[in-house]
Amino acid sequence: MTTLSLSLAVLGMPLACFVLLALAWPLRHAGRVAGWLSAGTAVASFAASAALLARVLGGQGPLTWTVPWLVHGGRTIAELGVHVDGISASMLAVVTLVAASVQVYSLGYMASEPKPDQGRYFAWHSLFIVAMGGLVLAPDLLQLFLAWELVGLCSYLLIGFYWTKPSAGRAAVKAFWVTKFADMGLLLGLVVLYGATGAFSFEQAAPDPVTTLVPALLFVGVMGKSAQVPLHIWLPDAMEGPTPVSALLHAATMVAAGVFLVVRAYPLFEAAPALLTFMAWLGAITALVAAVTAVVQDDIKKVLAYSTCSQLGYMVAALGSGSLLGGYFHLTTHAFFKALLFLGAGAAIHAVHSNSIHDMGGLWTKTRASAVLFIAGALALAGFPLFAGFFSKDLALEELAHAGHWGPLGLLLAAAGLTAFYMTRVVAIAFFGPPSEKAAHAHEAPATMLLPMAVLGLLAVGGGLSGGTLAGLWGQPYHFALTPVGIAATLVGLGGIGLGVLRYGTRSWTGDLLPGLRAFILSGPVDRFWLGAWRQGLLPVARAVGWFDRYVIDGLINLVGVAFLDAGRRVRALQTGRAQDYVLAVLLGVVAFVAWGVVGGAG
Amino acid sequence: MSLAAGPPLVAWLLLAAALFCVGVYGVLTRKNLVAILLSVELMANAVNLNLVALGRYQGELLGQAVALFGMALTVAEVGVGLAIVILVHRRRQGIDVDELSGLSG
Repeated sequence: MTTLSLSLAVLGMPLACFVLLALAWPLRHAGRVAGWLSAGTAVASFAASAALLARVLGGQGPLTWTVPWLVHGGRTIAELGVHVDGISASMLAVVTLVAASVQVYSLGYMASEPKPDQGRYFAWHSLFIVAMGGLVLAPDLLQLFLAWELVGLCSYLLIGFYWTKPSAGRAAVKAFWVTKFADMGLLLGLVVLYGATGAFSFEQAAPDPVTTLVPALLFVGVMGKSAQVPLHIWLPDAMEGPTPVSALLHAATMVAAGVFLVVRAYPLFEAAPALLTFMAWLGAITALVAAVTAVVQDDIKKVLAYSTCSQLGYMVAALGSGSLLGGYFHLTTHAFFKALLFLGAGAAIHAVHSNSIHDMGGLWTKTRASAVLFIAGALALAGFPLFAGFFSKDLALEELAHAGHWGPLGLLLAAAGLTAFYMTRVVAIAFFGPPSEKAAHAHEAPATMLLPMAVLGLLAVGGGLSGGTLAGLWGQPYHFALTPVGIAATLVGLGGIGLGVLRYGTRSWTGDLLPGLRAFILSGPVDRFWLGAWRQGLLPVARAVGWFDRYVIDGLINLVGVAFLDAGRRVRALQTGRAQDYVLAVLLGVVAFVAWGVVGGAG
Repeated sequence: MSLAAGPPLVAWLLLAAALFCVGVYGVLTRKNLVAILLSVELMANAVNLNLVALGRYQGELLGQAVALFGMALTVAEVGVGLAIVILVHRRRQGIDVDELSGLSG
């Protein structure tokens, strides 16, 4: 098979599955069959993208294949196609691996749902794989945007999967609105970029007056999709969706699309150093704020959601320091261990039928295998030495130090300690805490759920070794070296684990560091900020605009109409209806014409 | 030819113009549809008179030929016009034009 047909197969198999499930309703309503079909195509898709990655690793050069899409006046405005190189091949492998794992896991996790709902779930999952693959393989920004909106749609549909629950519906709408709000920036950026360069290329930075504006507008979209403060508010609510959805879309792949966009279009961002500095700061602030918020959550999925925000902050900060590899490496390892953590959380939720970590107390004795896997993921997230997160977080921090961003570096180090602390808290309470009633009858998850977790577990433990390979794909050197920054990060992480064990494990210390902070965070300050901005800022403006439209714009138009009606009413009087009047008018007209001709002829 | 045998051309043209003006005055002032139709005939005959006089002045027969055509057409026109008058009378029990103001705005 050629490289092209392999890459098309990666997209084609899930697409065929989606179309089949969408059209053949008996198949979709069959539930389990649909699930096996969808999971099968996802695994096949992963196999194809693994073969693709092997080729690229084997030295296959970049490949671009496109077909004209928007043609106007003989000029091709946009193209659709695939672009295979080190970045897209490795990202595609990560996406399809996590997707395949999550699909297989879902076979177990969703088994008790009604059959038609299962079919719906797997059809959307297949659509998501197509959309995400199209995003990763996009040859230009326009196709990326198209796929970007498509994954947003899948996200909306899957968050609202339990649509009979009002909170799930609200969460889906919230996610859609917040990301669409941010996508307006992305769309404007594309328009300005096209106006300035005449193309949607990743490579061509915008010329002088809009050099910074274009990537800044694109970055607004990134802030929405990759949940950066203050546009992160949709991500914790997105946890209303089924847990495997959270693992795939809202932890491993879709939310990383923003980071991927920056990596892809880096020539545009590189031309705007001020924006890069802003990204470093914003990423660091997001990392710290989300980590602080994660500490006080009792819902295991909310902890992981804020943790995802926080880790996305690391990636954005690393990209802001100019280190593509730092951001991308962390994206890869994070995809593995965060998906693992979500699947582990799903197994625990499946066992006790509750999201609260306090209801999970003592699961260690009941579900040993999934507990071990969850703890492996937690250690990787906390940056425990030799686990995957250790290497990638270390690289991100070192690059920040290298670029001289000491402020963001300090924030990220603090966030690293908090990360270790809140993960220790979850593990200590959920698996080793006092046994709860709900956990008393817990039983281990089925093999379809444990097997994908084991695969991801291996990668969460050993994924850090892929750094050299990834760097090789990009033609960059990468050598792991324990620098002072790395040592500091490791010590902070270990300190966080130690504090967590003291506070929640052995309970030898029960103090509260900042008593007021907890209540403040739980009151949802950022949500309240947006609500206030909406009520105080947007609504009055909208009302004023509405008034202007209704009375000034519409008024002018109505005035024109009324003027014509009135003029017509006045002119009506001329029409007497008496034939002789008309004849007189004709006669006067003829006389006038004759007079004009005589006078004109004389002149 | 024998133009000197009768009055000069301008006399004929003045007579035709006078006839035409009488016709126009009738069309504008008469209230009876039949009288209006008669006035239209006066106007048509003024035109015919012009044709004959000018043809004679030119010394050719084309003017008389066209006048004959014009008379034939006028007969047809009067036929249609009278038919309309009869229909109006049947429908409205009268042929006063001031009553026919259905097109009034």
